[in-house]
Amino acid sequence: MTNHPSETGEILRVEDLVVEFPTEDGLVQAVRGVSYSLHEREVLGIVGESGSGKSVSSLAVMGLLPRGARVRGRILYRGDDVLKLPARRRRGLRGRKIAMIFQDPMTALNPVHTVGDQLAEAVLAHDLVPRKQALARAREMLDLVGIPQAEQRLRSYPHEFSGGMRQRAMIAMAVINNPDVIIADEPTTALDVTVQAQILEKLLEVKDAVNAAIVLITHDLGVVAGIAHRVLVMYAGKPVEIGVTDTIFYRPRMPYTAGLLGSMPSLETSGGRLRPISGAPPSLINLPSGCPFSPRCPLAEDRCRAEEPALGEVDEGGHYAACHHWDQLAAVADPTALFRTESEPVT
Amino acid sequence: MAISAQAAGAAQGMTVVARTQTQLVRRRFFRHRAALIGMLVFGGIVVLAFSSIGFGPLPGWWDKSYLATGAVVDQGRPTLSLVPQFLGGEGLRWGEHPFGQDNIGIDYFALTMRGTQQSIIVAFIVGFVATTVGTLAGAFAGYFRKKVEAILMRLTDVMITIPVLIIAAIVGRSFGDSGIVVLAICIGLVTWPTLGRLIRGEFLSLREKEFVEAARALGTSSSRIIFRHILPNTVGVIIVSATLAIANAVLLESALSFLGVGVQPPDVSLGQLIDTYRSAMTTRPWLFWWPGVFIIAIALSINFIGDGLRDAFDPRQTRVRA
Amino acid sequence: MIAFIARRLIVSFFVLLAATMVIYALTALAGDPLEDLRELPGPDRDRKIADRIERMNLDVPLPLRYLSWLGNLFRGDLGVNRDGQDVSVLLGNALSATLQLVVAATVLAVVIGVIVGIVSALRQYSTFDYSVTFTAFVCFSLPLFWVAVMLKQYIAIEFNDWLRDPVIPPTVIAVASLVGGLIWAAVLVGGRRARLAAFALGAAATAVTLTLLSATRWFADPGIGVVGLAVLAGGTAVGVTALISGLRHRDPLYAALSAAGIGVILSQVLDPVLADPSWLEIFGLALLTVAVCAGLGYALGGLLRRQAILAAVLTGLVTAGLTFLDRMLRGFADYSDYVRGRPIATIGSSTPNFKGDFWQTNLDVAGHLLLPTMALILISLATYTRYSRSSMLEVMNLDYVRTARAKGLPERTVVTKHAFRNGMIPITTLMAFDFAGVIGGAIVTENVFGWQGMGSLFLRGLQQVDPAPVMAFFIVSGSAIVLFNMLADIIYAYLDPRIRLS
Repeated sequence: MTNHPSETGEILRVEDLVVEFPTEDGLVQAVRGVSYSLHEREVLGIVGESGSGKSVSSLAVMGLLPRGARVRGRILYRGDDVLKLPARRRRGLRGRKIAMIFQDPMTALNPVHTVGDQLAEAVLAHDLVPRKQALARAREMLDLVGIPQAEQRLRSYPHEFSGGMRQRAMIAMAVINNPDVIIADEPTTALDVTVQAQILEKLLEVKDAVNAAIVLITHDLGVVAGIAHRVLVMYAGKPVEIGVTDTIFYRPRMPYTAGLLGSMPSLETSGGRLRPISGAPPSLINLPSGCPFSPRCPLAEDRCRAEEPALGEVDEGGHYAACHHWDQLAAVADPTALFRTESEPVT
Repeated sequence: MAISAQAAGAAQGMTVVARTQTQLVRRRFFRHRAALIGMLVFGGIVVLAFSSIGFGPLPGWWDKSYLATGAVVDQGRPTLSLVPQFLGGEGLRWGEHPFGQDNIGIDYFALTMRGTQQSIIVAFIVGFVATTVGTLAGAFAGYFRKKVEAILMRLTDVMITIPVLIIAAIVGRSFGDSGIVVLAICIGLVTWPTLGRLIRGEFLSLREKEFVEAARALGTSSSRIIFRHILPNTVGVIIVSATLAIANAVLLESALSFLGVGVQPPDVSLGQLIDTYRSAMTTRPWLFWWPGVFIIAIALSINFIGDGLRDAFDPRQTRVRA
Repeated sequence: MIAFIARRLIVSFFVLLAATMVIYALTALAGDPLEDLRELPGPDRDRKIADRIERMNLDVPLPLRYLSWLGNLFRGDLGVNRDGQDVSVLLGNALSATLQLVVAATVLAVVIGVIVGIVSALRQYSTFDYSVTFTAFVCFSLPLFWVAVMLKQYIAIEFNDWLRDPVIPPTVIAVASLVGGLIWAAVLVGGRRARLAAFALGAAATAVTLTLLSATRWFADPGIGVVGLAVLAGGTAVGVTALISGLRHRDPLYAALSAAGIGVILSQVLDPVLADPSWLEIFGLALLTVAVCAGLGYALGGLLRRQAILAAVLTGLVTAGLTFLDRMLRGFADYSDYVRGRPIATIGSSTPNFKGDFWQTNLDVAGHLLLPTMALILISLATYTRYSRSSMLEVMNLDYVRTARAKGLPERTVVTKHAFRNGMIPITTLMAFDFAGVIGGAIVTENVFGWQGMGSLFLRGLQQVDPAPVMAFFIVSGSAIVLFNMLADIIYAYLDPRIRLS
């Protein structure tokens, strides 16, 4: 693990971000108050199930939400609230200061333009430089992300690339303007397992080359384990635990985090058995009262079903969790054992 | 706006309250205001056309026949008035000859109603025949591939080079005087290939689905897979295309009759009425107006119903509604 | 590419062959070709019947008749109709008028339909979008022949009457301004104040324009004039540049503006050359325009050279087109006198025995094409509008459009570069289908407007159960459809690099 860069300057700060989608069936509360900060060169992992609001909150940061979405709160980039910036300045940030890598490289590149063209375009969107210069920069980036024969590859179309190569090209596109922040939304989920590690490796290498910070969004705790400095766990549109990666892994203070850890296959898992969380995430239209995790939580009591816990400091070093019973988790040696495997009897 | 956000929500994997397929379809259809209005208008036209002058042995409430000539009153001007008196009109009045009379004194309301009946019947038969043949051909071609498919594809290749109006006109010339039912069946038999191609596409994608694989692995017979497993999943597409086929058939029949190669006298259809009275345009424009208004009303209301059905069966299409 | 075209041509040949067989048989069996003669009184009857049997080969069984027709076709002989007239001659007269109609209708429907569809998609759920959707539905449901008769009655006859004293009544100006304002307000997105402003400006602009046109009795002798030309060309330059590269960087704008300026100057200088040109000269001038404008764009474009060249060429071509229109309208007064003040024709495809210079002949053709084209494009227009709308909506929601936005591209580039090209891919398939429909529609339209075109050739042949003219019609229309299909496939492959033509 690299040195924790929290002492360096803060570049991105999200405060009480709320995103809602009005629908025929009611208001979908996709994000219900997310706050976090990101420091220079830091890697922040955001972990949660699908529908937990992790992607929506990042799209809100980028300003890429579909029409009709309602956004509240503040998103500060180096002190400026991007939600209040005029459209042109906001566009100037996008792709130059804050870049994004998407989940599915198969569909994220335009099939009718060459890769070189799409890379050069990212340069030309922000700087008026000769096209040749932009293409040279694109070539340089393809080299950096490890695509062989970059010169020829510039003239290829996306369908001539493999999935891994396309994701490399997406990484090249993201860093071509030396951004401060890269938001990577499940960058490896759609790839073969053998390629996943290479891509993560490359992402980190490139990040160091351009001195960017990364927000790494994933549903897989394993992905953030060796990479992230800090981890934010989201459930039902809210952060439920945040802290330094090691703390989250070894001292989870929210049963949901513990459940995620228990569902993660690893060689160290005792008895070689997975301990899945039963049930499904709640509907974001009609959230249950109280803690949204309470229907699935082994520790849930009446209080949990009545009152939603706030995020509170549970430990030193910026470890926060949203649970009425975090101290109960602190008391047990292996919090993942709270969740039973199916064959184990109830104790 | 709400719909796009909902789609976005669904794309983010958000849970939406579960409902059965039929409930969803019905709910979406009844939310489509244009489709509802279309349904009311079309229903109204059908009731008006069939109840007014009666159909077959059934008597109607309108006292004049579409065959009887009579004295021409006031140069055959329509007596229908819809402008209320307080707006300077003659008040709401039905009158003796609401749609006027033609030059030999036939009541034009009765004639228009007769034409409407015939046009609707022709359109429904054409739609039914084209849909049935198209569905069967498309289903077999899409499921069995190989020979059946090759034949269907070559056939549609040939049909694409022949504009529908051309082939229908040739068929109409042959069967126009054999009565409207024969004419309609024949037109249906030459207009199905586009529909067949569409259904084939649906079958092609569905036959690769896991549930078909599963049925085949269990040793289910081909006909059972086609009719019990795949066909129910294409019901939406079939109903929508059938509706649109009917709307197109209304226009096709009227165009053919207008050109003199469709419904032949003594049968009456809306297009044929326009053809008959096209030279009266300057002297008795209403003879031209009424059938035209009815054709548009029928085609428009069926098109709106089709649009509502498409939205109801395929919510993804709502977002990208054509 | 050549291999693709060759293979397609061979396949199409057999497809067409099969289709001729079907149509020949169906036509020959559609009725009794001797029906009219059988009822003839008098001694001539038997001789006439024998003559016709001889001419139409009726004593030979149908399959052999077809084969003999086919054999003649390969020798370039389309045969004779039942009255002994050479079908090739009949076809020659009918062909050009019908092709003009069909091509004009298709091109206009594609261009207008795609533009309206895209604007409608970009303004999804706006008043404009709803109005376009509703109008498209109405157009789908309109019987073509009915519209054609209405146009003939209310547009042509009444418009021609009005032209005698072309003063626009104040009520019409008021209503038109209101509608104009509403359209502007509907297209604009923004707050209530912005919409109100758009409404007021749009309404005022419409009112002023119409009042001016009415006061100057413009319609009696329409034309654009140097001033009008300069204003329109300049406006085009700004508009085209705004669409292609935005107005933030000036280089492309200067290129487009100079293209417009040079175009306006040349239109005046070259006036004597344009006295009575040929189509070849016009085509040459158009090529010259493209070359000069491309040069301008190259020289003035700076870092945005590509965009500048495109903007300059488009501006130059529009300016040239306006010059053409202006020059054509100059002959309007004389022409109008010639046709006794009825320039919008309702019958036929050209004025019989009309002799005029290049401009007047074209004006005559345009006056005859106007109404049939308007009628014919309605349905195609609705189809293209709805398909391009839905296609654009679908594409605008795709991942790569989001990627393009994430790069920080301006919305203009996202739409024109990333969404537009992908959105047009399904439209090419539609073009192939729609073209056949337009040909069918042309038969109806020609019938209403009394053209002696391909449609009447087909219809009369069919009524008389005379295969030769019907087949001549089909050979032309079928080949046109096949070629058009191939063109659509080539455009498809050009738009989508994933498709290989082989």
